[in-house]
Amino acid sequence: MRGHGFLLANYVPGTSLVHRMPLWLKFLLVLACGMASFLIVDWRLAAAALAVLCGLFLLSGAGPTRLFRAVRPLLPILLVIGAFQWWQLGGPVAARIVLNILLCVVAASLLTATTPLHRLLDGVVSLARPFRRFGADPERFALTIAIMLRSIPFIAGAFSDVRDSARARGLERNPRALVLPVFITTVAYARHTGEALAARGLGEPED
Amino acid sequence: MTQTHAAGTLKPAKRRRWNATDLGLIAVFAALVAASALVAAIPVGGLGVPITLQTLAVMLTGLALGPGRAFAAVGLYTLLGLAGLPIFSGGRSGLGILAGPSAGYIIAFPLAAAAVGWLAAVVIRRTVKFRAVLLFVSAMATSIVLVHGLGIAGMMVNAKLDFSKAFLADLPFYPGDIIKNVLAVTVAIALHKAFPDLLVRRVRQLPQKAAAPRAATPGTTTPEASAQQ
Repeated sequence: MRGHGFLLANYVPGTSLVHRMPLWLKFLLVLACGMASFLIVDWRLAAAALAVLCGLFLLSGAGPTRLFRAVRPLLPILLVIGAFQWWQLGGPVAARIVLNILLCVVAASLLTATTPLHRLLDGVVSLARPFRRFGADPERFALTIAIMLRSIPFIAGAFSDVRDSARARGLERNPRALVLPVFITTVAYARHTGEALAARGLGEPED
Repeated sequence: MTQTHAAGTLKPAKRRRWNATDLGLIAVFAALVAASALVAAIPVGGLGVPITLQTLAVMLTGLALGPGRAFAAVGLYTLLGLAGLPIFSGGRSGLGILAGPSAGYIIAFPLAAAAVGWLAAVVIRRTVKFRAVLLFVSAMATSIVLVHGLGIAGMMVNAKLDFSKAFLADLPFYPGDIIKNVLAVTVAIALHKAFPDLLVRRVRQLPQKAAAPRAATPGTTTPEASAQQ
């Protein structure tokens, strides 16, 4: 059983201006950056916006290491895209494309770095509220999210257990032996969870 | 009995509402997709070419759960990943994904799970022979049309590539996809053998059930039967 740490990965505690901003405002900021990436046509404007957001990120106390870590997974592919578009469309356009993608990524990681995960999940649950009249049930939605979060470590553990037992039988190259037991475990685990919920009177449709 | 009536009719009257077991399946399969994005790739065959498990898990969720629940499970995974839980492949997360070149693939996941689930439900309801082949065809059709189609569209929008370039960039994923779909179908067939009521109960017994219990005991209809009236 491993993988418990993943829930804490992004949040940096703090009391900066960005931390105190309400969630919807931060969300609007991210959304605006997403829109901007389609509207900004001048690479200097994109660079300026990116500089402002990086400034905000550093102001929130998350530090340059985290900023780099947020961008790092995209860097190789951005280099490829940038080089390719430079060759195809010229320097300014390539710079604009790459900077706009970076702008969105930094804005999104600013949101996750300054908002604790449970606030984010509350935000997701509140998204279901307007759909209540169509039969959505925010409480069951929240319950489903909670069960999912609890199940991730269990299933990651099942993957490594199954891998160990396949290796013990000399089947570490057999994809069926590596995957099928995990899925059987998953379905059985899901059913037991469902039965446990039903036994406690949880999760059944109410109205 | 009036209560079960209300439960059946209040939601979109067509289908029964999800009970606790469905909720458990949705949540745990969403967790499965998340976990399969986090664990290391597995080696396949003698050459040991590693394949990632994420699209395999998405396809299998569809094949195992059918359209509605599969869409809910993979949609929940996508939603939480976009909300900032680091559960996309490589531990990435957040709305920034939507700006990256792989955005199309992420958006395609829930749609692909729903589409392959619908096709799988049709295959399992209508056919007995050649199920493996038909399931493989539906999985392949879904991944070509939805996953690769939206993946190419995502690269065209975000990386501003034109169609032929995006198509070429997408091409290396095909061999792995074929292997994954073969594997997904073998696992799905074994799953349906191990849990025969996982998908079929919801599909096959709906028309029969309305008549059978009521003929036997007219006074005490089961909740399922009364909910369908």
